[in-house]
Amino acid sequence: MAFDDIDTAGVARTIARLLARPEDAADAYFERIEEVALPADGKAPGFRVRFEEGLAVRLERGEQSWLATADRIDGRALTEAVRRVARTQPRAELPDPRFSLAPPAPAEADEVLGFPSAVRQAVRERQASLPVGLDVKRHRRTLLVVGARIASPIEREAFYSVTASTPHGRWGGLFTTLDDAAATHVARALVRAWRSREAEPPEPWSGPCVLGPEAAAVLLHEAVAHALEADTLALGGHPEAAVGVRLGAEHVSVIDDPSAAPQPVRRTVDDEGTPVLRRWLVRDGTVEQPLCDRAWAATSERLAAGAGRRGGRHQAPVPRSHHLELVAGEHTEEELLADAEDGLYLPSVSRGHLDPHAGTFELRFPNALRIQNRVASTPTGPCVLRGRIGDLLSAVVAIGSEVRPAGAGWCAKGGVRMPVWATVPAIRVEGLQVTAP
Amino acid sequence: MVNDPFRSDPPRDDRAPSDRQRGDKRGEALAETLSVLEGAGWPEAEVYAKTGRSRTFVVEGSRLISTVRREEGWAVRAGDPRRSFFYAATGTPRPDAPWPEADGEGLRLPSPRPVARWTAPADLDAPLVGENDALALIRGIGRALDTELPGARLIRAVLDDGASEAQLLSSRSMAARTRQRVAILRLEAGKQKLAARVHVEALAREARLLNPVALARRLADRLLVAERGETPVRDRGEILLAPPVAARLLAGLVPLWLGPSAAGQALGELHGRLGGKPLTLIDNGRLPGGLVEAPVDGEGVTARGVRLVAEGVAQQPLLAWWQTPRQPGLASGCSQRPSWRDLPRPGPTHFFLTPSPETSVADLVADLSRGYYLLDAEGEARINPGGDRFALPVCGFSIDRGHASGAVTGAELVGSIRALLRGILATARDLTFLPAAGGMVGAPTVLVRGLELVRRPS
Repeated sequence: MAFDDIDTAGVARTIARLLARPEDAADAYFERIEEVALPADGKAPGFRVRFEEGLAVRLERGEQSWLATADRIDGRALTEAVRRVARTQPRAELPDPRFSLAPPAPAEADEVLGFPSAVRQAVRERQASLPVGLDVKRHRRTLLVVGARIASPIEREAFYSVTASTPHGRWGGLFTTLDDAAATHVARALVRAWRSREAEPPEPWSGPCVLGPEAAAVLLHEAVAHALEADTLALGGHPEAAVGVRLGAEHVSVIDDPSAAPQPVRRTVDDEGTPVLRRWLVRDGTVEQPLCDRAWAATSERLAAGAGRRGGRHQAPVPRSHHLELVAGEHTEEELLADAEDGLYLPSVSRGHLDPHAGTFELRFPNALRIQNRVASTPTGPCVLRGRIGDLLSAVVAIGSEVRPAGAGWCAKGGVRMPVWATVPAIRVEGLQVTAP
Repeated sequence: MVNDPFRSDPPRDDRAPSDRQRGDKRGEALAETLSVLEGAGWPEAEVYAKTGRSRTFVVEGSRLISTVRREEGWAVRAGDPRRSFFYAATGTPRPDAPWPEADGEGLRLPSPRPVARWTAPADLDAPLVGENDALALIRGIGRALDTELPGARLIRAVLDDGASEAQLLSSRSMAARTRQRVAILRLEAGKQKLAARVHVEALAREARLLNPVALARRLADRLLVAERGETPVRDRGEILLAPPVAARLLAGLVPLWLGPSAAGQALGELHGRLGGKPLTLIDNGRLPGGLVEAPVDGEGVTARGVRLVAEGVAQQPLLAWWQTPRQPGLASGCSQRPSWRDLPRPGPTHFFLTPSPETSVADLVADLSRGYYLLDAEGEARINPGGDRFALPVCGFSIDRGHASGAVTGAELVGSIRALLRGILATARDLTFLPAAGGMVGAPTVLVRGLELVRRPS
């Protein structure tokens, strides 16, 4: 199995040669990626497989870090990378550590091949007739972090990404299994876009809105998780200054817990080899523990590492969320709708954006439903929800009781793309501005 | 005839012996892998390999992240008229790779054509920037910025310096090799008591060619505008667009010239008049001195310059070889392949509005009796080809009788695409390129009429 045959003791000895000062820390990161893709009909070439393996060696010294990467895993690549980050060259050559990795196996992905027809069938079952183009990919990633003293457990992630396009819109998202429920989920989004294809955008609105779990997850990701990343907080001062700041009402608690993510993407350590935490980003409306990697955590005793993520071996770790949770409230979804008469039900987001300098966020919705007689029924066209981060959690007036995995998608910040996951209920917000795009 | 651009004029090979040895081995592995694919009965097979080395320095205050990357990967496209597959992997090409089962669409690859003589630029071989030189450049910009505008400070600098080499062999006897070398510097600056941050980006073949004082002046100009600027409610007239503004607008228009149908839909009939004489648009993969100049594109097809618009009259869209099977002479070698992971796709190479060598920027400013000189774009252009409208967040100066009379910020340049193309009155000589749309998009300073400056929506 990948990485089981890496001589971690030999790697640790090699890495340890980098440590010249008491404050130094060093690690080696090994990564294997397999991506199997089935492009939409009409696109050549057909079946596509990408296989990557490589390593990164890093030395951290106070506020400085040096990273050397390679697109192969062998003893020579490791020692070359060590030599490139070393501040002082070792007096004696070390033998290259032993590696014996199994070559990649032929990629088979029957579940990927069968998914487009499952989605088309689910669309037809909803009495909709529309051409659907589907790009389906399976992603597998195995990683191992070896420090100078300790090696982390081998971590594995497996998930699927789906992009569906019709003449009336595009939908994209991530799944941990490609089953009937996933096909139904995609079909629902496509049919909703089809039914709202000629609907007018809603009039400007700041009354009650109910965000379905998928939309609530993206809202929390943009306006809570990104806002509480140590590197984002550092734009306005030291990240620890955020601890204790009241962000919203007492009924709002947001957690990042990679160990509670859906099983195929569940993690015990982050991409720096640090054990993950059940991290209360916001507890009872107050900021408790921002997202930190090892470098930011080293700047304050009040900050904890465990949220370091890498876009890949060629990128340095950055603080990011992995799996967000919103602590459930007491309202059923029916109750949330009942108190939002004439308001908007916002099921899913096409795009989210946080402006850390201005302290504002923006979510774009491909469509919405007007709530009438306690039911989200009348389709409307696309709309945008904008607000200030400081006002967001105060605007959450009610939280649903039914949490579910939702809103999984790609997060692209600073040009680095990572999958993110969430388990959240629906929420009702008031006082946020919804306008036409 | 094979498309080996270096066959008649081989470059000096001054790679380190270990790198040269690896390169030779890679060439052998490429040929062996192609041979295996042909032996397996695939009539269309292509093996592509790319290696790269780069250094990145991220400086934020006293924080430094220094990265040295060695990237190497390869890819195979193989198929017949009915089915095909794509396999990509890190490392050196492997003839025994676990090929996926062919499926889906058939595949066709380009055939070789004669390649005009090509001499690789000498500075492709320049060494990558070292840590001391990189930090000296960034600190030099910081010092120059403080001199230009006391109280201003560099908040973040990211210097990327990289070189790459790609090789390609196909069952149609295509053989090509290309090299590239680019340094990109991205800067973010701020000033005391000013909430806004400003961003500036600069490119050069080598990092040592970046001028710290000129960059500091650009940042200082932008900060002054952000600090003192006012937002016009709505105004129009003659407007000068500095290269970063004009190129950003042009980048948004690139899709209008991509592919046979895009051009037809967006611009109406070819050979129709789109604008005045100063409107000449060219795409040229071989542009001398261009940052991505190369003899062939990502599929080994000969790169050449094509006039897309000549003196205001539409000539042809930008076409890859497979998009114009009946008129192969219209194809220009414009298949992009940013990485070994990527499939080739049509896109701009050096896509630019031609400059006027005899006109300086100062001439255009002096001739402007009343209007605006827009220095920079503060975001991407929003373009709606269907609605023929665009909006670009901008900043700059208002101009009165050839002199700056005030700073402008929080504004958007808006108008129709047709009005933009028709409204180009003159261009200056200062052609400048930006990385955009997967290639390089360039423009000189442009004088336009018929556009509006409005308050940016909050």
